[in-house]
Amino acid sequence: MSSSASNESLRAPASRCLLCNVGCPVRVMRAGPDQWLPDYVPHAGYAGLCGRGSVLVELADHPDRLRGAHRHGGGGREVLDLRAVAAEAAEALRGADSAAVIVDGNYDVDTLAAVGAFAKSLGATWAVSLPPSDEALVRGLDSSGCRFVGPEALEQADAMLVIGDVFATHPVAAHWILEAKARQPRMPVLVLAASAGVTADFASASFQAVPGAGLAAAVAAVRTGNVSALGPRAKGLAGWKDLLKGAKQPAIVLAADAGRASVLALAAEVAHLAKELQAAVCPLTTYGNAWGAMRAAAAGGAAAAGGAAGVEDILRDPPEALLVIGADVESALAPQAVASALDGVLTLVYVGPMPNRTSRRAGLVFPAAFAFEQSGRALLGPARETAFEPLLAPPAGVPSVREILALAGGGAVKANLTSPVAAATARANGEPKGEGLLLVLANDPVHFADGSLTREARWPQTVIPRPVLLLAEEDAEAAGVADGRRAVLQGPGGRAEVVVATDAAQARGQARASAAFPAVRDVFGWKLGGPDAFEPVRVRVGKA
Amino acid sequence: MAETATAKPIEKRVVLDLDRCIGCKSCMAACFYGHKELHGVEFVDLGPALLPVVCRQCADPACVETCPAEAMVRDAEGVVARAMFHCRSCGSCVRACPFGVLSLEKVGHQIAKCDLCQDRLARDLEPRCVAVCPTRALRFATVAEIEADGLTILGGRVAGEHPIRRRL
Repeated sequence: MSSSASNESLRAPASRCLLCNVGCPVRVMRAGPDQWLPDYVPHAGYAGLCGRGSVLVELADHPDRLRGAHRHGGGGREVLDLRAVAAEAAEALRGADSAAVIVDGNYDVDTLAAVGAFAKSLGATWAVSLPPSDEALVRGLDSSGCRFVGPEALEQADAMLVIGDVFATHPVAAHWILEAKARQPRMPVLVLAASAGVTADFASASFQAVPGAGLAAAVAAVRTGNVSALGPRAKGLAGWKDLLKGAKQPAIVLAADAGRASVLALAAEVAHLAKELQAAVCPLTTYGNAWGAMRAAAAGGAAAAGGAAGVEDILRDPPEALLVIGADVESALAPQAVASALDGVLTLVYVGPMPNRTSRRAGLVFPAAFAFEQSGRALLGPARETAFEPLLAPPAGVPSVREILALAGGGAVKANLTSPVAAATARANGEPKGEGLLLVLANDPVHFADGSLTREARWPQTVIPRPVLLLAEEDAEAAGVADGRRAVLQGPGGRAEVVVATDAAQARGQARASAAFPAVRDVFGWKLGGPDAFEPVRVRVGKA
Repeated sequence: MAETATAKPIEKRVVLDLDRCIGCKSCMAACFYGHKELHGVEFVDLGPALLPVVCRQCADPACVETCPAEAMVRDAEGVVARAMFHCRSCGSCVRACPFGVLSLEKVGHQIAKCDLCQDRLARDLEPRCVAVCPTRALRFATVAEIEADGLTILGGRVAGEHPIRRRL
């Protein structure tokens, strides 16, 4: 599969949406003296823009944006001089018995490297915040020796294995898959996913795996041809290895939004299969810069070589002083567990563009530019380094993270992205025991799945204002709930109110819920760093 | 209304290719932000599919005919457009539209009406919903262009010279 013209243009400087690793070019146009709108003009490999990408411009001008440094406490907010307070924060971190820095993984790689160097200069540990599924995907694939491609190269494929509901999680990637299908209407496409979804509607064949370890088992069944363990529904998977192997340019598209252990096992199976088929692998991550963040963190000596595991390492034994940059760690991980960890932090400093659960706990809060308000580099996937320009300038007086680091005594660093992240051992959990529906988190095309960013934006609020629970019609009937009605999810970690969506194609006994809502994450009852982190759990559904 | 109703119908319309829509709602977001947060593109759940509905710019538009305030007009370009300050929010056009593409906004009580993104057409660009669609499911094309691709426009007769009228 050769690089296409659009792959060439991907390297051309343009503003990029990093709300997934398709990395769509984005532009704005002036619509008034102080008003900007997304502008949809084909340029630099533009193939469309999903709803999340359109939200970026609203976020830049959001009324809740942080615009001045302030101190919480004492019943009010004291507005502060940025320069003075940056030095004060650095001093607090330096003077603490234990200090740590957590930075959001979607900042450009050189900012991440600069944060790492700054943390080291303070004697602090550091980690990048990423969804555990992204971390596991990078750890499972980066050193595998597979041949990787970006989504634009899928147009050249003549047979595909698509893992995950890719059309929902990465809508623009559908562009090249459908272009390939348009070129070859009889192209075989097999979709494996943990729940019913729109991608399966476009497949030649599909299989709904059991959430969690079931996806890796399904890929193994395709590879070995031994499908008996997956039950009678999997009979159709038996001949797919030959179908894929018979193609000239087979491709495997992998978008995983399951738990850490499951994705690691899945990535290992995908690597085996890809090598046997000599297929190209197109990994799709939730964070656009997940690959860059993991490599920059590994090269910069981050805790647990970066990723959510590093964040969990830091939070399991809370430091005396903690600096959080851009990430809403409380919403993005397991809110209850993180909240109790943050209670143990004496000095919490937050730097970021928007207020969130984490910033509201912080004693000191600094405003900072979004990643798309500055130029930089991102690694969208192996060999997919891209330079990007600012989409907009940040509001007056709002500095970039690099400028704040400079105020606090940090320096500029160029990230080393050359070394692949070391592989981790795959050890998939078994299916959770007990009664109730097997629940997994899922991303959607409307919200960004970090648990906080797009929930404050107006369009996502109008479309999916509450978490949605997808389940089979029979399961809904048994629970006494109906399509479009409110229901209550009860799991090991608590309960959450959801809106029910039923689908005739959804397998019985399995359900999925919106990943963008922290309340849903609490239902899972995950423990920081536990073996069950972000894996499916058994839940009960009842009337609200 | 007779003057506007006899204006030349628009040649190009926004057409949805049912075989390519993945229901991602990108078109909805683009319309929302491009039109001051009015929903010009709605999604309807047809059971087997969730699809966007976009104004078909009928040749003989029932919304224009039924509007008591002359707020719905066909402009010089042939676009069926809404004059915001004439609109009384009575909802007559919403009930008259045979395709259900019009809606009364809950906030502001305005009618969200597709104007084919006139600001973009003036720049020789396609409407936002079309330009943003990742799968090219939405196209801005003439009937001849669609038919040249071997596709059929569903409801073409309704949107053409012989519209179905609803009883108001």
